[in-house]
Amino acid sequence: MAVSTTGATPNAAPPPRVPLVELRHMRVSFGGVHAVDDVSVDLYPGEVVGLVGGNGAGKSTLIRTLSGAHPANEGEIYIDGQKASISNPRDAKNYAIETIYQTLALADNVDAAANLFLGREITTRVGSLDDAAMESATRKVMGRLNPKFRNFKVPVSSLSGGQRQSVAIARAVHFNARILIMDEPTAALGPAETAQVRELVAQLKAEGIGIFLISHDIHDVFDLADRISVMLQGKLVGTVDKTKVTKDEVLAMIIIGKLPEEVSAKEMAELIS
Amino acid sequence: MSIRRTASIMAIAALVFAACGGGGATTAPAATTAPAATTAATAAATACKVGVAWSTFQEERYGLRDEPGIKAALAAGGGEYIGNDAKNNAETQASNVAALIAAGVNVIVINAYDPEAILPSVKAAVDAGIPVIAYDRELENANALFLTHDNVEVGRMIARDVVKAAPTGNYAIIKGDKTQTNPLFLRAGMEEIIAPLIASGDITIPAGAEVDTDGWKAEVAQTSMEQILTANNNDIQAVLSQNDNMATGAVAALKAQGLDKTVKIGAQDGDKFALNRVALGTQVVSVWKDATELGTEAGVAALQLCKDPDISKVAGATASKTTGGLDTSALLLAPIPITQANLQVVLDAKWITEAELCKDVAAGSVTGCP
Amino acid sequence: MTEAKPIEGTAASGGPTKRSARSVFAGLEIDGRLIGMIAALIILWVLFNVLSNGLFLSPRNLWNLSVQSAAIAIMTCGMVLIIVSRNIDLSIGSILVFVALVMGLLQTEWLPNVVGLGLNHPATWVIVVIIGIALGALIGGVHGVLIAYIGIPSFIVTLGGLLIWRGAAFVLARGRTISPLDTTFQLLGGGPRGSLGDVLSWLVAGLGIMAIAYGIVASRRRRQRYGFPLRAVWADVTLGAIGTLVVAGAVWVANSYPWPPALAAAYAAEHGIPVPSGGLLIPTGIAIPVLLAIAIAVFMTFLAGRRRFGRYVYSIGGNPEAAELAGINTRLTIMKTFVAMGILAAIAAAVTSARLNAATNGLGSGVELQVIAAAVIGGTSFAGGIGTIAGGVLGAVIMQSLQSGMVLIGVDTALQDIVVGVVLVSAVGIDTILRRRATRG
Repeated sequence: MAVSTTGATPNAAPPPRVPLVELRHMRVSFGGVHAVDDVSVDLYPGEVVGLVGGNGAGKSTLIRTLSGAHPANEGEIYIDGQKASISNPRDAKNYAIETIYQTLALADNVDAAANLFLGREITTRVGSLDDAAMESATRKVMGRLNPKFRNFKVPVSSLSGGQRQSVAIARAVHFNARILIMDEPTAALGPAETAQVRELVAQLKAEGIGIFLISHDIHDVFDLADRISVMLQGKLVGTVDKTKVTKDEVLAMIIIGKLPEEVSAKEMAELIS
Repeated sequence: MSIRRTASIMAIAALVFAACGGGGATTAPAATTAPAATTAATAAATACKVGVAWSTFQEERYGLRDEPGIKAALAAGGGEYIGNDAKNNAETQASNVAALIAAGVNVIVINAYDPEAILPSVKAAVDAGIPVIAYDRELENANALFLTHDNVEVGRMIARDVVKAAPTGNYAIIKGDKTQTNPLFLRAGMEEIIAPLIASGDITIPAGAEVDTDGWKAEVAQTSMEQILTANNNDIQAVLSQNDNMATGAVAALKAQGLDKTVKIGAQDGDKFALNRVALGTQVVSVWKDATELGTEAGVAALQLCKDPDISKVAGATASKTTGGLDTSALLLAPIPITQANLQVVLDAKWITEAELCKDVAAGSVTGCP
Repeated sequence: MTEAKPIEGTAASGGPTKRSARSVFAGLEIDGRLIGMIAALIILWVLFNVLSNGLFLSPRNLWNLSVQSAAIAIMTCGMVLIIVSRNIDLSIGSILVFVALVMGLLQTEWLPNVVGLGLNHPATWVIVVIIGIALGALIGGVHGVLIAYIGIPSFIVTLGGLLIWRGAAFVLARGRTISPLDTTFQLLGGGPRGSLGDVLSWLVAGLGIMAIAYGIVASRRRRQRYGFPLRAVWADVTLGAIGTLVVAGAVWVANSYPWPPALAAAYAAEHGIPVPSGGLLIPTGIAIPVLLAIAIAVFMTFLAGRRRFGRYVYSIGGNPEAAELAGINTRLTIMKTFVAMGILAAIAAAVTSARLNAATNGLGSGVELQVIAAAVIGGTSFAGGIGTIAGGVLGAVIMQSLQSGMVLIGVDTALQDIVVGVVLVSAVGIDTILRRRATRG
């Protein structure tokens, strides 16, 4: 199978500003296998970049280098045009990068407030946990995201999938993120809750936050993203402007790894049938 | 039986020969028939490798007395010493014995942790033609020489002196670990002394006042003693403890009730802190089984077994029966009860220094202390 | 309800979101599991009391029980956090004996011979305890670094520690028993002289009751400030009343145990007090090791529920990956739990050897299993993330009640082992079934 060359592609038209985030030539290897191989993507303020690809394409791995969960073997990260050094989740949070993981990454045995503030607890003057203040803040943010949420004092393990998801989202948005990474944010949600997440994405976008949206659902991505970066087998197929491509063309990128202008009519016909 | 005996003698000859390396080539032609034993004996004079499987070094005596005793005796007789520690674990001891057999020792001394569990290992050694000395703990094997202080006598001695100090009243009995046979011997000896007094009503053992102690642990004995005192509202006049370590726990419990000077307690081992208590008057007797002497005797017996593996021919050994009724040989050493009347004995044996013995003892209160 | 609030322990500060009138316990917001354990303990006590003709619940036996449980309870406080964070510490018995022998040798040989501070010098015990605790922290720290930073499983590191420190203890003392110990140091082990007496005990009770009242009021105020739903006033009052009764009752029992007559007489003779005809009645009060255990339990509950350290320990236990992704320094947190365990093992070493008035080589062998059993009976889950200090301490008391109760009524030791084993497995079995039902329902 032919794989296109990497790097920025001509038909994507980046806005003429300094990117919020630039990942340049990222490479992550697991025991000799390149899970991410020389991939470069960028993200502008108030922009949603969809990151798509099949299973094992390397999109989650790529994004974990930005969230600090798994440092890259090679490559550079620029934030606001400045070179950044991110080697663990704490570093990422210091750059106002927040992540909603596909697994949600919640501590199941503690309550919503404890999860929301995990690692960034509010403390009293003497350094003790101020649970009341944290609960209050949690009630506020949850009131915005999921007004029906009531279970503030139970471990999150006893919450529904949607409720857990809203806790994970609340954690990401509460701390004034400038860069938000959402890894399959609607995977566990029903239609109503999915709609809520879409609304939220639009709202955050309006606030000037940059969002990387990872999804296997091409419809989601088409609805929410401004640009779409497609990965296949650890390599970047290309980044396209949503308004200039069709869903089928993106599908072709995902499956056969060719940019729209490279795909022959025959290949496209086979794909659609 | 006799065939097996011959076989084992030949096996020993072979082992000894192997132990000599190639050096004993001149004796080689003789090593096929009857004179094999003598040949082996001559050879053993130059190489007698003795392996000792200790049960635990957690108890004070083994590392400080027994082991130096056996080492010294072997060194004096030209023998070689190998020891290992089972750390109070039956499986560990089994593999330790296997290791000694594999190391090609001529005699194995087993200080059994679990005398039942070790029996297959004992049999393996005997089958390999290696003489076994059952060190201080009996082994149910007719071919193991039982070397010990007479533990039944130790039990008698503890009871005798305690009864002398407290002829009537309620007795508590703190026994050792129930998985071993020594507590049975000790208890049997105690019984001989107190049974008539129990029958006459002079002595009573209240219900629950006779307890086993896992691992002979002092802190377990302490809790037991506390509970016995509570159950009897302190109406206990004497305590028979099966060793000094547990007596430490019992005395701590008595002391918490202010009874350490009035309740009579006897035990055994001659541990230093216990002898100090004897001098202080908070323990009636500590029966002293000179562990160094036991080690020395084991060394001497092992040297003899290198020359002649017949356990009945070891100097001082007498015919005896095991608890299970097997005919075997035993070498029993006499223990010495140490009371305030004969403290000088342990001083003379350099078992303990005067400073250790007489710590906190009021001047002139006992003979032996200044 | 049974699943509720592993972090907050019993000192529940929050109010219910859903006010349920279904049960009084729900209103009081006490952990259901804790209630179950207290009920089990009461049944056990009553049973032993009947079998021992009223001896078990006598002030003397309860006082003894409190002292006998102290060392195990102290170590259980650390073990709960270790198990909650999905680790295990098998080395505590060996740390205990090693530290106990170092402390014993320090006070009987090293300090007198090297520094010239004799046994019974007023400074001796302080130096000994400080060095002992530092040593415990150091050993725990070494284990912690190997586990958290090098990544060797805690089971392996502490199994090694179990062998190493017991071996080191033997090398250090060559099997000797170190006895007697410093007289001030001995007070750490309890005994009538190592107890507070009635006045100080009541003072401690007063402070305890004030702390309970302050806790309830402060929590109410905090919730009021944020406009949260408050716990019903009756519930707060009931909680305060129960707390007051428990504290006062415990101190009353401790004070009802008079000094043993022989000791009281000796004390009277020392101080020239005339002994009345009925004998001199000196209330014993809370024993020092028990006070230590209570103080440690309260402090560790505070650490577990109200400090970041505790929150991180529970989060790591709940989901180690999530804790790491949340930016928690999980390695440092794990290492700290082992340092705490080492310190607590050292304190237990002081208590145990002081109580025995001897440091022996067999000290603390097998104690790791008792402590792990206490933590598990107390509701700590090996799956991680669940368990409370209060539960662990209760577990320790249940274990010790079983053991000393059976000695009191004269149960054969082999049978004792069987009973303890059965109780351990059934306690965890019942807990597992209830937990499963709770998550299903």
